[in-house]
Amino acid sequence: MAMDLSISRFWRKKVSVYRLYGSRCKACGKVHYPPKKACPYCGSRDLELIELPKRGKLLSYTTIYAVPEGARPKSPVYFGLIDLGITKVVAELTDVADKNSLKEGIEVEAVLRRTREDRDSGLIYYLLKFRPVMVHR
Amino acid sequence: MAVYIEGVGLTKVGRHYSLSIKDLAAQTAFNAIEQVGGPEGIDYLIFSSALAPLQDNQLDIAGYVSSYIGLRGIRALNVEAGEASGLAAIAIAKSLLESHQADKVLVIGAEKLTEYVSSKAYKQLQMLYDSDLRSFYNIGFAGDAALLMRLYMNTYNVDRETLSYWPALMHSNAKENPYAMLRFAIKPDKVSKSQILADPITLLDAYPIGDGAAAVVVSSKDVVKTPLVKVTAIESSTGLGGIELLDDPLIFDSLLSAYRKLSSIADISQIDFMEIHDSFTIVAPIILESIGLAERGKAPELIAEGHFSLNGDKPLINPSGGLKARGHPIGATGVYQVAESALQISGEFPGIKVDNAKRGLVISLNGLGSNSYVALLEGV
Repeated sequence: MAMDLSISRFWRKKVSVYRLYGSRCKACGKVHYPPKKACPYCGSRDLELIELPKRGKLLSYTTIYAVPEGARPKSPVYFGLIDLGITKVVAELTDVADKNSLKEGIEVEAVLRRTREDRDSGLIYYLLKFRPVMVHR
Repeated sequence: MAVYIEGVGLTKVGRHYSLSIKDLAAQTAFNAIEQVGGPEGIDYLIFSSALAPLQDNQLDIAGYVSSYIGLRGIRALNVEAGEASGLAAIAIAKSLLESHQADKVLVIGAEKLTEYVSSKAYKQLQMLYDSDLRSFYNIGFAGDAALLMRLYMNTYNVDRETLSYWPALMHSNAKENPYAMLRFAIKPDKVSKSQILADPITLLDAYPIGDGAAAVVVSSKDVVKTPLVKVTAIESSTGLGGIELLDDPLIFDSLLSAYRKLSSIADISQIDFMEIHDSFTIVAPIILESIGLAERGKAPELIAEGHFSLNGDKPLINPSGGLKARGHPIGATGVYQVAESALQISGEFPGIKVDNAKRGLVISLNGLGSNSYVALLEGV
């Protein structure tokens, strides 16, 4: 597990973390993710939810071995900065066959993946992660 | 309006398994209080800790510490701004003095990071970054800095080995500092070969996990008797805080903003030394470039060539050894930076001494810049 997250937290974030919705500012035109209550660039509250492109280019990446408590079985964790064109996002990377396959500029796409299991309540949580596109051609 | 630092207490950063956060706080507070001739006249306690609720299971740490150290009845408050908590606490103290709400403020920064295994600390430290998205992932404490480091290296075509001169310099400085956690020299080529935490960040690129406490007594002009140094000005600014949000992630937006504010109210052209927030190797050059002390992409080369070292032609950076080697007990760090800078300017710092140091700058930020604080300290 990442943090001790509540069920309601996943529920609240369903539009952003499951459907990759960001916010576009109607005043300055900039897009950000995940959605805030005001544009982080110009402060305007005149925002609209938009679906972000599910494909982008990897700008930076890392293979994380210093993982937080509870994530040891999932180590290493791949994490990347992704350029979706209209905005950038950070996300966990998945389906990485070999860490040397991660390179700047490779195409990645969003996929729904299991992220944690809550044994007490029997819930399985899912989340969008990004995978290299070429692996699946 | 300037305020004055009169007393200073410092504890060596390390794994203090035998001391609680309150013990660490007491030890440093007593040292600072002794230097001002006793607790009489201290009328406010500002505590600085970010992780006390998690590591020590304690809320209202300021309230409980007050009676623990014999100051029952004093007004007390904990200040939390993540890694910038310490300098934020000094800023609040200064503000209380300026507004005549207090005359003599005791600021204690204390933090335990070693109560549990390191992986638990990694999990807690992940909270320094925006939890809206990152809390869903298992990225720990170094993931964001790792993305930033690779981006920096690719954008400016700077190689890994050039960046390694920073931790080597910090270890070299810390070797002389009795309050530092890592008091041993390392060669730059050791850095890339040490254990990988989040590539390209290795163990030697990251701050060590250690406990610590520092305390200062800050007094108003009206009551000060034996000032070590004056705190001329402190400014701060918030920022976007995430590399994905910044059009230009290789400049810390909040730091640039805080630095501009400071330069509009104080003359910061002649600085003898700085204590900056080098939580990870990559954060140091970006700080230096954000405030214009180096051209963009050039700081690592200048660091490697010794320009920021003792007897270099630029301000000496982190005579203490910085977060990298002195250590980084999160909420206490800003107080360490100010306490060490006060001793540096008064000529009493027991580590690397900057000749005739009159003016020092302290820079503290949280994460990659959700909040940045900048303070100017001057001799009296």
